[in-house]
Amino acid sequence: MDVIISTLATFWLLLALSFVLIKKGLWIFNDVAKGLSMFMLEKALGPAIDFVSGRPGSSSSTWIIHGLVWTFASSTFTFMGLWLSHDATALHSFESWGYHPNSSELIYAGRLTALFGAIGMLVVGASLYSLPRLCGTHLASESNATLVSLLWTLSVLLMFVGSQNAVIAGITILPIANLLLTLASTALVINLILTVSDANQEIPFPGWLILFAFIGNIAAVLSVFISGAFDEGVGQWLLFHLAGGTFFFCGVAGVSLYSVSVGSGNPLWSKSLVAFTLFGAVITINPMGSTDPSMVVDLFSLTSNELAPSSRDVISGSFLMALSAIPIIAFSANMLVTMRGSDAFVENPDSPGIAELNLGAWMLIPIAIGSLFVQTDALGGVNELNGISQSLDLMAIWLVMMPLSVGAALNVLPRASGRNQLSANRSRWAFWMMSGGAFLGLLITLMSDFTDMALTESMAEQGSSINQELRKVGSVMFYGTVIGAIFHCTNTISGQYRGRIMGDVSKASLSSIAIESYSLTGPTTIRKILASGATLDTEVSPSEQSEEKGSATEL
Amino acid sequence: MSLAQCLRGHLRWFGPLLSRFAGCVSVSIEVPSSVDEFIQGEKEPASSGVVVVLGFVSMLSFLILYGILFPGRDMPVISEVLPMFEGVFDSGIWFFLLGVIFGAFSIIATMLTEATSE
Repeated sequence: MDVIISTLATFWLLLALSFVLIKKGLWIFNDVAKGLSMFMLEKALGPAIDFVSGRPGSSSSTWIIHGLVWTFASSTFTFMGLWLSHDATALHSFESWGYHPNSSELIYAGRLTALFGAIGMLVVGASLYSLPRLCGTHLASESNATLVSLLWTLSVLLMFVGSQNAVIAGITILPIANLLLTLASTALVINLILTVSDANQEIPFPGWLILFAFIGNIAAVLSVFISGAFDEGVGQWLLFHLAGGTFFFCGVAGVSLYSVSVGSGNPLWSKSLVAFTLFGAVITINPMGSTDPSMVVDLFSLTSNELAPSSRDVISGSFLMALSAIPIIAFSANMLVTMRGSDAFVENPDSPGIAELNLGAWMLIPIAIGSLFVQTDALGGVNELNGISQSLDLMAIWLVMMPLSVGAALNVLPRASGRNQLSANRSRWAFWMMSGGAFLGLLITLMSDFTDMALTESMAEQGSSINQELRKVGSVMFYGTVIGAIFHCTNTISGQYRGRIMGDVSKASLSSIAIESYSLTGPTTIRKILASGATLDTEVSPSEQSEEKGSATEL
Repeated sequence: MSLAQCLRGHLRWFGPLLSRFAGCVSVSIEVPSSVDEFIQGEKEPASSGVVVVLGFVSMLSFLILYGILFPGRDMPVISEVLPMFEGVFDSGIWFFLLGVIFGAFSIIATMLTEATSE
C-alpha cells in the first residue's frame, strides 16, 4: 500500500481546508465562534488568567526567556550524552541514587528539550510578536499566551523525565507530556487565528509561514491517524518529518524572514522565494532529522514498527525529499541576500541576532543535502549511512534550527520588551561560543562516526583509539555551546531589567577604544579612517569647507 | 653649632608654616562624622579585580611553599576531606559539570537579584 502519498493527500486536503476557513471564515457563525473562543482563552480560565500580565509583548518575552533557559538545559544534556559516548561510566556515582545515565538517553533528552523546549519556545515567542505586526493588529490574548508558556514548559519538563524513565508508578510519561503540549498548541492556534481574523492588512508570506507552522503540525498528526498510517513504520517516519517540515521548518523560516528584514532594515529580497518556501515546505518532505522515528512512537505511545516501505513509497518519499531542496535553497538565498550590505553582522552590536541568522542560513543547505543522502539511504533500506544519522540530526538542531530560532528571538525580544540586551559584548561572546562549540564539536564527532563506519565495514576486531580521542575532543568542544547558552541567558535576563531602552540613542554601544564619529575634512582613504580607530559603526561626517579665495573681513 | 641646635633652629622656622598648612587642610575638608545611611558605589573599581587576582596568586604561592617546606606531607584538612569524594568525582566530566552547576546558579542568581533590586 502506498502510505506516503495517501497520508500526504489527507495532509494537503486538511491544509487547504484550513486555508479556506481562515480566508472565508465561518459564514454567520463567525461572531459566535470568535466570542466563544475569546471566552475560552480568558474568562473560562477563572482567576488563573489574572496572575499573568496582559501587557503587549509580555507573552513573547516570557516564551523567549523560557526558550533560552531550555537552550542551556538541552545543551547540557547533549554535552553529557556526547561525553558518555566515549566514557560510559563517567557518571556512575549517580547509580547510588538509583539513576543510571547513559549516552543515548541523555542525547534523546537533549533532542527533546532542544526541539520542544528551546527551538519550540523561541519560535512561538518570536511568532507571538511578529504575526500580529505582520497582520497590522494586536495579539488576541496576551494573558492566555503567557499562561500557556507555563503549561508548555511543564510538558517539556515531563519530556525530560520521560526520556530518562519512561514509566513511573505505572504511568507512561511521554504521552502525558505530549497531551499537555497538544493542549498548549491548541490554545496557541486559537489565539493566532483570532489575531489573524482581526488583520487590518493583507498578510505577507512570512505570516502564512508562521500560521501554517502551527496548523500544519496539527494537520500532520490528524492526517497520519485518519489514513491509518500511524501503525506502520513508514507512517511514523512520515509523521516525524511532517512535524519537522511544518512546525519546525515553517515556524523557523517565518520568524527568521521577519527578523532578518526588521533587523537589517532591508526589505525582504524576493516575495516569490518566500512563496516557494511556503508551498515547498508543505508539499515536500523535509529530510532533516533522525532516521529513527522513535520520538513519535514514544510521544504518541504507538507500537514501534520497522521502517519497511514499499517500492512506491521509496520512490515517492525519495522524490519528495529531493524536491525539498527547492524551499530550502529559496529560504536560505532569501535570507542571505536580504542581509546584504546593511552592516548588520556580528561586528554591529545594534543588530542582535543577525549573526545567528546568518550562520543558520549558511549551514542550512549543506546539512539539508547531507540529511537527504542519509534519509534516502534509510528509506531505501540500504542503511550504509546510518552511523552518521545521529550526528547529522544534532547538526541540524544545533547549527540550523537553534541559530535561526535564537537569532530571531534575540532580534524580537528588545522590540517586545522595550529593552535591549544588557551587554552587546557578552552577546557576541555567546554567539562565538555557541556556534564554535556546536560546529567544531559536532564536526569532530561526525569524523569519529565515519571512522566507526569504516572500521565496521572492514570488520576490524579492535576499535581504534583515535576514535575515542576524537569523541572526547568533540564533546569538550561542544561544551562551548553550554557556556554560550549561559551567557545568552544571563545577558537576556539582566537586559530585561537594566538593558538600554529601545530607541534611546544617547548611549552608543561602541567599545571603549572605538571612536564614535570621524570628521571628514578632505579626500582620504578608508585605510586612514580605520587607522584612526574607526570601526564599522563609526559615523563619518563630512565637514563643509569652501574652496573660495579668502579676503579681508568687512567691519 | 651642635646638631641639636641646628634642628631646633629649623623647626622654629618650619613650625608655624606646618601648623598653618595643617589648619588649611582641616578647614577645607569637612568630613561628616556619620551619614546614617549605607552607601555603595554603582560601578566596580577597576583595581578590585587586581586584589582578587592577588589573593589567588598568594594562595597558590602558599600552596607551593607548603609543598617545598613540608615535602611528602598531605595538606591539612583538605587531605582528609578529598578521600570522601573518591569514586564520586573520578571522571573529567565533573570539571565541566562544575561549570554547568556554576552557570545554572548564575542564571538563578541573576533572576533573583534582577527581580528584587530597585
